[in-house]
Amino acid sequence: MFELILNILLVLFLVYSLFTHVIEAPIPDKVQRNPFALKPGVWPSVLIVLLLITLTINIIKIIKNNKGKPNFTLSYFVKEIPAFFKSKLFLGILIIVVAAFILEPLGFTVTSLFVLFFYGMLLGEKNVLKNIIVSVILSLFLYLFFGVLLQVNLPRGTVPFLREFALMLESLLS
Amino acid sequence: MKKMMVLLMAMVMLFASVPMVQAEEAWKFERKVDLVCPWGVGGGADSTLRPMADLLKDILGVQVEVLNVEGGGGANGVEFTYKQPADGYTFMLGTQSLILMDLQDVFSMDYRTEFVPVAKLVHSVSIIAGSKKAMEQKGYNSFSEMVEYVKANPFQVSVGMLTATGADSLTLLQTIEGLDVMEVPYTSGSEMNSALMGGHIDMMVTGTDEISGLIESGDVVPLVACVEQRMKRYPDLECTGELGIDSFIGTWRGIYAKNGTPQAAIDAMEAAIEKASQDPKWQEFLVQGAYDERVGFEPSEGLKALEEKEYTTFSKYLNEQGLLRKPYDDISLD
Amino acid sequence: MFEMLAQGLAIVFEPSLFLMTLLAIVMGTVFGALPGVSATMAVALGLPFTYSMQPVPAIVFLVAVYCSSITGGSISAILFKIPGVPSSAPTTFDGYPMAKRGEAGKAIGVALVTSAIGGLFSAFAMFFLSPQLTQAALNFGPSEMFAVTFMGLSILTSLDSKNILRTTISGLLGLLLGTVGQDPMYGVQRLTFGSRQLLSGIEMIPVLIGIFALTEVFQQTKENKRITAEDAEKAGATTIDTKMPSMKEWLSIKWVIIRCSLIGTVVGILPGAGATIASFLCYSTETKLSKHPEKFGTGIIDGVAASEAANNAATGGAMVPLLSLGIPGGNAAAVMMSALVLKGVQLGPLLLINQPEYLSATFVSMIITNIVMVFVAIGIAKVFAKILSIPYSVLGPVIMMLAMIGSYATNMSTMDVKIMAIAGVMGVLFKVMHFNSAALILGLVLGSICEGNFSRAYTIYRGDIAGMFMRPIAGTIMVICIVALIYPFIAPALKTMLGKNKKTADK
Repeated sequence: MFELILNILLVLFLVYSLFTHVIEAPIPDKVQRNPFALKPGVWPSVLIVLLLITLTINIIKIIKNNKGKPNFTLSYFVKEIPAFFKSKLFLGILIIVVAAFILEPLGFTVTSLFVLFFYGMLLGEKNVLKNIIVSVILSLFLYLFFGVLLQVNLPRGTVPFLREFALMLESLLS
Repeated sequence: MKKMMVLLMAMVMLFASVPMVQAEEAWKFERKVDLVCPWGVGGGADSTLRPMADLLKDILGVQVEVLNVEGGGGANGVEFTYKQPADGYTFMLGTQSLILMDLQDVFSMDYRTEFVPVAKLVHSVSIIAGSKKAMEQKGYNSFSEMVEYVKANPFQVSVGMLTATGADSLTLLQTIEGLDVMEVPYTSGSEMNSALMGGHIDMMVTGTDEISGLIESGDVVPLVACVEQRMKRYPDLECTGELGIDSFIGTWRGIYAKNGTPQAAIDAMEAAIEKASQDPKWQEFLVQGAYDERVGFEPSEGLKALEEKEYTTFSKYLNEQGLLRKPYDDISLD
Repeated sequence: MFEMLAQGLAIVFEPSLFLMTLLAIVMGTVFGALPGVSATMAVALGLPFTYSMQPVPAIVFLVAVYCSSITGGSISAILFKIPGVPSSAPTTFDGYPMAKRGEAGKAIGVALVTSAIGGLFSAFAMFFLSPQLTQAALNFGPSEMFAVTFMGLSILTSLDSKNILRTTISGLLGLLLGTVGQDPMYGVQRLTFGSRQLLSGIEMIPVLIGIFALTEVFQQTKENKRITAEDAEKAGATTIDTKMPSMKEWLSIKWVIIRCSLIGTVVGILPGAGATIASFLCYSTETKLSKHPEKFGTGIIDGVAASEAANNAATGGAMVPLLSLGIPGGNAAAVMMSALVLKGVQLGPLLLINQPEYLSATFVSMIITNIVMVFVAIGIAKVFAKILSIPYSVLGPVIMMLAMIGSYATNMSTMDVKIMAIAGVMGVLFKVMHFNSAALILGLVLGSICEGNFSRAYTIYRGDIAGMFMRPIAGTIMVICIVALIYPFIAPALKTMLGKNKKTADK
């Protein structure tokens, strides 16, 4: 059921994109005038149309293959939703998405601490103290190794005191 | 944990107090300076910035690191620099393509006001060059013969350039005004160069620095230089100045700082660049890279004036193309 | 020729330079193996070492860094499913499943040896055929470039022959992702949904890391498997040098290696293509040509060999236009070019005529690098494999952080990290929908090159699509594409027809 819903959502999204977002800015006048220029909208439009055709076939196939199966109903799917939000998979996704968003303001070291600690817990690390120590050491190591030695310039964070802290770490090695 | 916090606080106070003391005296760089290059390693912008960074390192007495933040035709680098604090330790390389992007409303800020010019490094000459193969095929040998050919055969000659709405395309428009050619935009200079050598495109607009080696071999023939006087290295090459064509845009590259950077830091950087520009190593680089045809170093005001002039030119150009998405009130569009 | 060779040997075997070359090989392999340090960055990190060198030794040093970094990338691709360099991306498709089965040693062995063969092949091609290869490269214009990338796409369906429909959808989705941002021709913005950060488009690396490495950790989280130290040991940590493929297995992939070395060299020469395109093209070509295409992606040595032979072969290819025309064949070559320009070397078609020692020294450097790096890389792989023996509750989060660093470092963009996170979720959804992640990545990698070159060719030939392909190279490749596209549909009919003929003959 979930598969079917995802496919339908994808179709709806593509139809919406096709009509509204294929071209989002004016096309230069000289391109409009040049009869031999391929307009920028052609390629994405062709792709979306091809996708709509193939997805429709896919949807028909899914319905055909699952027809009559007891768990292929909307109510069964709805019943399963709460279980997903309690699952480890959901928590894992949540941690990464949050991490991706705090990376810029809080900087690499804090993000790394956050991911290492919480994901470690999620993967079954019971000993909190050990987890904290490991997270701190690894975060510092990763920052110094990649950020300073390999000059990857990891985000220092935009919050002033975290930024100063990152600069202090960098000065340790250079 | 508590000790950590105390340590942190102490650190914050320590760092916070440093710039205050300094604002009153002459600026002294105390730690690594980042020079952001919004384009990739090995490109024209990068190869200008790296030798300069090397010279600045000795003059400033601190590490000077080139950070390549590429992508989006330069937009990523601008956004990256904009997010750094204006503490005098981050500078950026800028060119006119950033102006064009600003006028097309690509950035999240007003580039014109949010970035302050520090100094100009190099100013190259644009040339229009033809492919030897294509020229033999189509039977033109000089700029004027090419113009005649294009007049007789509209939409028959293809011209390569980087980005269809960039400075190169304006150079082309100014140089052969009113003629219909096929513009073939490329995303990488090396792909374009080899397409020209292979005769897949007939001509291209580019900086002298990019193709001096190819011209030497004879596979690529320069047709016209967009400069006031004939070039030293190609004395036989016609130039727009003597032909009476109003087309003089050449790629320039300069150092910028985020608005709000302490003036003392900007002045110190400007002075350091001026000193570096006189270094024999830099002079040698200018000759090697074909940057010796125009004045390279110019101080902050000189770069600002050039920038303002190009803002006006580009605003008009983009407006004609229906692409001006961020008109500045004080720039006239007529 | 021999005179040149002797000259090259004399340059590289000068003791101090030889030591520097060894250092370069170690450096290159380590940098290549680390996620977030691409081959281009590795070469850029090597630049400071060359500041005090003469131009020829500098290029010897940088070439060694370049070749070995491309090889190093396969180590993390196999062990962690995070390609150390972009061109090792297809190595994850089969390398990681092998490692998961406990055949990490075998996978790395195949990767290293095929890398070396690919690299050596292209080094010889560069040395002996440079003028011819240059001429060939110049014959590749927009229509030829389009044909080559289209070939990569036309064999997309064969990535999973049992699931052609969904593989096609995945590939199309990848192509569509490739159109986000400014279009490759006129810079018109498309499908950004108002996000300025998407203007620069969607990079392959964050999507790849998200959809492969991140999804893998998510999967482990879901299964809640506690991977213990013993499991990890079984996963190849201590068996790296013992379980090499048998002679029979090596012989079974000999054609794969030869074909991919050849294609890799040619693709490497083309400016605008490079090692990443080469390895993707070869991987998909091999799935098409293989007798057992269904096994690709499940962990077979053919897949690893295809990708690694190709990307190392591209290194030699990339040096050809750099040395003979002064046009870099890829980003890493561009860095080398800037290093030479800094030293005042006038690059261009006259370089090799006046100073042939550039070619001979590069050649000797490549030969040494491709042999020595195998042993260096085995040592480094052993160190890396040790990481696998730490418990998964630590390793999982560390992989997450490496994934973040790897996505961030390409463009220093936090947006890329967000894209990676989203791609990770997408990977989970792809599992539900039975879509093919490898096909998505292939579409994304080839998409904008394909579109850009088609548009260019369309303009140059004034909208005459037939004219675009009435050229020897482009035409031949397009015919192959069309055959590849329709073959699966007519094959059954063809078979029954042949069968009938046989029966009538029997009568």
